[in-house]
Amino acid sequence: MSEVKPDTRDSELAPPALAAALAETWRTPVGLWGVLAAVDHKIIARRYIVTAFAFLALGGVLALLMRLQLAQPEARVLSPDRYNQIFTMHGTNMMFLFAVPVMEAMGVYLVPLMVGTRNIAFPRLNAFSYWIFLAGGALLWIAFVLDMAPDVGWFAYVPLSGPQYGAGKRADIWAQMITFTEIAALAVAVEIVVTVLKQRAPGMSLDRIPLFVWSMLVTSFVVIMAMPAIVFASTSLILDRLVGTHFFNPAEGGDVLLWQHLFWFFGHPEVYIIFLPAVGMVSAIIETFARRPVFGYLAMVMALIATSILAFGLWVHHMFVTGLPRLGQSFFTASSMSIAIPAGVQVFCWLATLWDGAPVFRTPLLFVIGFIVTFVIGGLTGVMVASVPFDTQVHDTYFVVAHFHYVLIGGAVFPLLGGIYYWFPKITGRMMSETLGKCSFWLIFVGFNLTFFPMHILGLAGMPRRIYTYQPDMPWYGLNMFVSISSLVLVAGFLVFFIDAIRSTRVGVSAAENPWDAPTLEWATASPPPSYNFAEIPVVNGLSPLWDQPGCLMVASGLRTDRRELIVSTVAAAKPQVREASPRDSIWPFWAAVATTVMLIGSIFTPWAVVWGSVPVAIALIGWFWPKATPEDES
Amino acid sequence: MRILLVSLGVAAATAGCQREERQLRVDPPVAAALDSITLMPNGISGAPPEIYFALDRPYETNAYNLSQGKRLYSWFGCKGCHADGQGGAGPAFLDGWWNYGPEIVSIFASIRDGRPHGMPAFRDKMTTEQIWQLAGYVQTIGAYSIKTAAPGRNDEKQTRPAENRGPAAKRFDEGPTPIHLDQGPVP
Repeated sequence: MSEVKPDTRDSELAPPALAAALAETWRTPVGLWGVLAAVDHKIIARRYIVTAFAFLALGGVLALLMRLQLAQPEARVLSPDRYNQIFTMHGTNMMFLFAVPVMEAMGVYLVPLMVGTRNIAFPRLNAFSYWIFLAGGALLWIAFVLDMAPDVGWFAYVPLSGPQYGAGKRADIWAQMITFTEIAALAVAVEIVVTVLKQRAPGMSLDRIPLFVWSMLVTSFVVIMAMPAIVFASTSLILDRLVGTHFFNPAEGGDVLLWQHLFWFFGHPEVYIIFLPAVGMVSAIIETFARRPVFGYLAMVMALIATSILAFGLWVHHMFVTGLPRLGQSFFTASSMSIAIPAGVQVFCWLATLWDGAPVFRTPLLFVIGFIVTFVIGGLTGVMVASVPFDTQVHDTYFVVAHFHYVLIGGAVFPLLGGIYYWFPKITGRMMSETLGKCSFWLIFVGFNLTFFPMHILGLAGMPRRIYTYQPDMPWYGLNMFVSISSLVLVAGFLVFFIDAIRSTRVGVSAAENPWDAPTLEWATASPPPSYNFAEIPVVNGLSPLWDQPGCLMVASGLRTDRRELIVSTVAAAKPQVREASPRDSIWPFWAAVATTVMLIGSIFTPWAVVWGSVPVAIALIGWFWPKATPEDES
Repeated sequence: MRILLVSLGVAAATAGCQREERQLRVDPPVAAALDSITLMPNGISGAPPEIYFALDRPYETNAYNLSQGKRLYSWFGCKGCHADGQGGAGPAFLDGWWNYGPEIVSIFASIRDGRPHGMPAFRDKMTTEQIWQLAGYVQTIGAYSIKTAAPGRNDEKQTRPAENRGPAAKRFDEGPTPIHLDQGPVP
């Protein structure tokens, strides 16, 4: 390997030499050390996505177990205690270990590519975030294997989860698992905000950001605002349980309802943390397959921002039956219904785009159309449960189960699967099968509706949530059996999807740079992208750079090739400001994550773990920030 | 991913751990066997039935049983005489002195069969399982070292640190003249 002489600029090298020099500089070492020390946003995001889909599969198995138990009255498949653990695990797993991480992972992969930079901001924090997420997931699932999984519902209401009624360490494991995912999510949110605001390609002013990037930016702000509430909630729950504080003990001046307020102040925005990235994926897919820019870009961005602000003003609709004052109920009914306005704006903009464009019905677009149908149904039942009298009637019934599966699967999983089909060639360099894709779409779409639509009826017939069995004289038997059988169709669809994804990584048709002829920057580099993303940083002068300048993208030059460098630009106009170094691989984020894991898990058992556990954390952080005499340290 | 699989494997290997298991109904033969404890002639100390060890001492180490015991402690009026362990008409559990020793069989026998000077027998009021659960919990109140399986505080006015904070060690106080002459100055 020829020594690259210091301060070699990209403009001094011919394209092949430039690629070789950049590949050497941005290389992730191979072997176990390389795996543990990697900071490349694409490698981290791939791990995140694969892990999250593994959790999706595990959560799906739990759902099947529940359907098996509920298919018949008085079934004996699961014990009541195991059933409680399983419905808690299913919700917790799907929300905290699948939906949020997978959405953020898509952002981690795509945002740096879409804004035309070489790595995400704070790449080591990114690596740390993944290890912490993995540890949190492992904690929950190991607890499940040990028969000590949380059994208090995914929202862990006190007093059920409090020290008096939540026996053992189950609720503590839930609370600490939340802490793990909070840390991971906050880390990613900070990275994405900085990447979007400061690392955009020259010329990509705020009104030229792809809608997916806007949605990730808005989502990241929601994460930053919402997570502190749950950080406080889960910490105070653990303190109540372990050291006997009285945050939720009314007899000593605490407040039981405080938990629900804190939880839902986080929990409702959480729904939008899952939904908004999906919205961004839908916009990206529709734009490409309708062959025209999304109709109403400004309205779409405003709708994203409006949703994110309204998201913080309607948490009380989860608490309508807690006996709150009438005025509060009316206010939150109104605010809950008003969220339908930005949602409606988006749906009509997408429809207008499809109407005016020349849609190409490939698998990603099918999933998006499935999304529009199911999400609108879920949105309508959402407006229904936003009204207090109706909510009082169906609260804690299967109607609510049906509603939120329609908005979460319809609103997030459909776009996500579409997004996977859409970006799979970029991530792996191979196309997924169109035949299997259509097959999996129809199985999932039909299976989903057959599984969850009857739950509306079950709910109206009075079947409560979270029951492990029901008596034979209840009028729910036939529909429950129907739902359980339909769920097999849904599972078959997911199986086809997984088989297609795994198969295509090996034998899929090789993908070109831009197989869909899409307009955004991630398609301006090889598939899969090289470690440095772009040999030269593109310059953007429109909303759809690859359509505006087909074949020849303007580029910026002058970056050093002998160290990891990227362009930092101004927030609004994206005028280049400085050349900034991007950190190299480091093992320390891994050690920091290990130390944090030991501290957090120890604190389930003794408060002293926080004191003594902070010592290894401090050592790991010192190692993390200690200058390593790399060229990047000079900047 | 690999790490996840490895850790799940480790978890499966250690799945023998039973501190969080919840058995909602004890099999009648097991309950009958649990009832046959062996006591010394003076009614103090003795041996639990063999099945108790075969089950891995569930009423001392299992978090669910201990917290059920804590509920039974309120439900069956133990507080009336023993308060939250400080004692009253009945002896205290926090003063570092057990009239009949700290062994679980002695506590079980005290609850099941009663004791002189006012301790009633709960034989006909509680099931064997409930008596075991309550005995395990009562032992926890007077323990000097913190047991991680012990229950936390109740949602009510507090009179002492919760069981998982080792209240007996914190509240140990023999007073100016020891009530019990054999008692030492430290726990």
